[in-house]
Amino acid sequence: MKLLMTVLGLSLVFVFVWERVDMVRLGYQIERLKQERTLLERERDELQVKLSALSAPDRIAKIASEQLGMSLPQQGQVIMVRSGPAIPVPPPADPIEVRVAKNQLSGGLR
Amino acid sequence: MAGTPFRGRRYVVLLLLLGGFGVVLFRLVNLQVLQAAELTVKADRQHQKTVSLEGARGTIVDRHGKTLAMNVDVPSVFGIPTALDSPAKTARHLSPVLHVRSDELERKLRQDRSFVWLARKLDPEQGRRLEQMPLEGIGVVMEGRRFYPKGPLLSHVLGFAGMDGEGLEGLERRYESLLHGEKRVTVLQRDALGRTIFPKGLAEQSPSPGRSLVLTIDEVVQYIAERELEDAVARTRAKAGTVIVMEPETGAVLALAVSPRFDPNAVASLAADQWRNRALTDAYEPGSTMKAIVAAAALEERVMKPSTMVFGEYGQMTVAGTVIHDHDKLGWMTFAQVIQKSSNIGAAKTGMALGEQRLYRYLQAFGFGQRTDVDLPGEAGGLLKQPRDWGRRSLASISMGQEIGVTPIQMVAAIGAIANGGALMKPYLVSEVRDAHGQLLKQIKPEVKRRVVSPDTARTVTSILEGVVTGGTGTKAAIPGFRVAGKTGTAQKIDPRTGAYSSTQFVGSFVGFVPADHPRLAMIVVIDEPQGEAWGGVVAAPVFRRVGEQVLNHLGVPSSEPVKLVMASERG
Repeated sequence: MKLLMTVLGLSLVFVFVWERVDMVRLGYQIERLKQERTLLERERDELQVKLSALSAPDRIAKIASEQLGMSLPQQGQVIMVRSGPAIPVPPPADPIEVRVAKNQLSGGLR
Repeated sequence: MAGTPFRGRRYVVLLLLLGGFGVVLFRLVNLQVLQAAELTVKADRQHQKTVSLEGARGTIVDRHGKTLAMNVDVPSVFGIPTALDSPAKTARHLSPVLHVRSDELERKLRQDRSFVWLARKLDPEQGRRLEQMPLEGIGVVMEGRRFYPKGPLLSHVLGFAGMDGEGLEGLERRYESLLHGEKRVTVLQRDALGRTIFPKGLAEQSPSPGRSLVLTIDEVVQYIAERELEDAVARTRAKAGTVIVMEPETGAVLALAVSPRFDPNAVASLAADQWRNRALTDAYEPGSTMKAIVAAAALEERVMKPSTMVFGEYGQMTVAGTVIHDHDKLGWMTFAQVIQKSSNIGAAKTGMALGEQRLYRYLQAFGFGQRTDVDLPGEAGGLLKQPRDWGRRSLASISMGQEIGVTPIQMVAAIGAIANGGALMKPYLVSEVRDAHGQLLKQIKPEVKRRVVSPDTARTVTSILEGVVTGGTGTKAAIPGFRVAGKTGTAQKIDPRTGAYSSTQFVGSFVGFVPADHPRLAMIVVIDEPQGEAWGGVVAAPVFRRVGEQVLNHLGVPSSEPVKLVMASERG
């Protein structure tokens, strides 16, 4: 009986000590993971800023015109058409003349 | 008697033991009871670290979620001069990484202080280089730095934040209370090596970051407006310029461009004049664009009909002892033509037909002389005098856009009311407030300020303003495939030296909306002090056309007018 009590008492002490040690160990682990998360978040933010800077319309337009030789469509080169049911359009007086490069029209429009 | 010396030694040992225990006990009581408070503080100082934490400042994105302003943690470098052996050597090592002159660093490191900032908010790349060169007495802390990844784009609206992350201008200032992160002081436990164990109390959370703003601005529309405005300002060698693009139905501002632009990433070197948002701080005399508003008032009050005949006095009329001129010697014309040809005399007569009180009432209703309450700081209310302060010429002058100061944002809101069937909307820039995880916290709804004219009147004014673009002073604003309604304006500026109208300094403007039958865009273009030809129809109307055409394309608005396609080859 005496032995049993001693063993029980000792194991209680061990459990207590083990718990404390494990808590400290987990504390370090939490701290390490937190730091890792901070670093990853920082990297994500840096990449986000980089992405935003690279996709700035200023930059895209510059590359398009200077490196790729693109230019803005001239007046009337882009024509938006409605899809779906036709909306009645009042009869035109004089249609506005717009010049369109031949290769920009599909067969259907011709 | 043999036991006596033995007993004597026993007492000595006992005494020594008691004495020893007594000393220990004394020390124990001394440490644990008498000095307890003081020592606890000392111990806590050694294994606890108090840090001031701040949640990240909220981001600002455009209506499609494109990032316009955000925070990134970057390194700031400090020195501990008292812990340095050779300040000169340390300064030499740091100088190329920090981009600060070596002697400047050395001067700081020689100060008799325990803490000194060497360089704050460096680029992340510099931080990585610093990590590879551990130096005694030099420390690095991370601080949030504001980045504006698009550079000068939207700079006047965004404003900027200061070194300590507080909003100083623009939206950054207006929404400071929402954007800034929570500040909190936290106690961390650390071990013998100084590593953090974990905060006292496991429930400790990091401070919450600031709220994010979703703008009504469309990055692409903003870019188009800025580019065309910069082009026009350069071409006309003007002093400054403004373009505002607004949705007339809601008052949502799609673009607000001010020229010259500035880079909010590098404001330290700029003067306040460069970041002032002229679109709402600077009132100007609008000149003839005001006739569109006066026309709306006259039609609503039925003092004029589009077909009412008005005599143009062949270009000269005397009012209160001064002469009002028209640029053409106009005779009889309809009221619609008064607006389309932008006749000053016709406008003056319209104002006189309305009378002081009625004209004043309408100008007030359209929002002149008071702030639009757009969500940006520093807005001016413009200048609209009470009728009792008007001179004998004022009625005529105000009807043609003189003796009244308006801001571009007031003017675009007013023309937006005509585009919107007579309902004046409050212009606004922030449509949503979200938390750091993107959860919607608040949605800002369009706000009708008041009805200023009836839908019928708005329609009639629109058709008159269409005539300005099809056959009046604003033909350069015409966009093929779309019906455009608008009004040109050319105002002489007041020379601050003489107090009289200048003959060389003008403000050329165009204000209008498109498509006239179902307006998607209301826009104002103001060019301040263009050199050479300064007519609004020449300097501002083409900007309206170029911006309008590209923005309608971008928004995918189908053209409402038939266009005739002519093959290039058919033209030879």
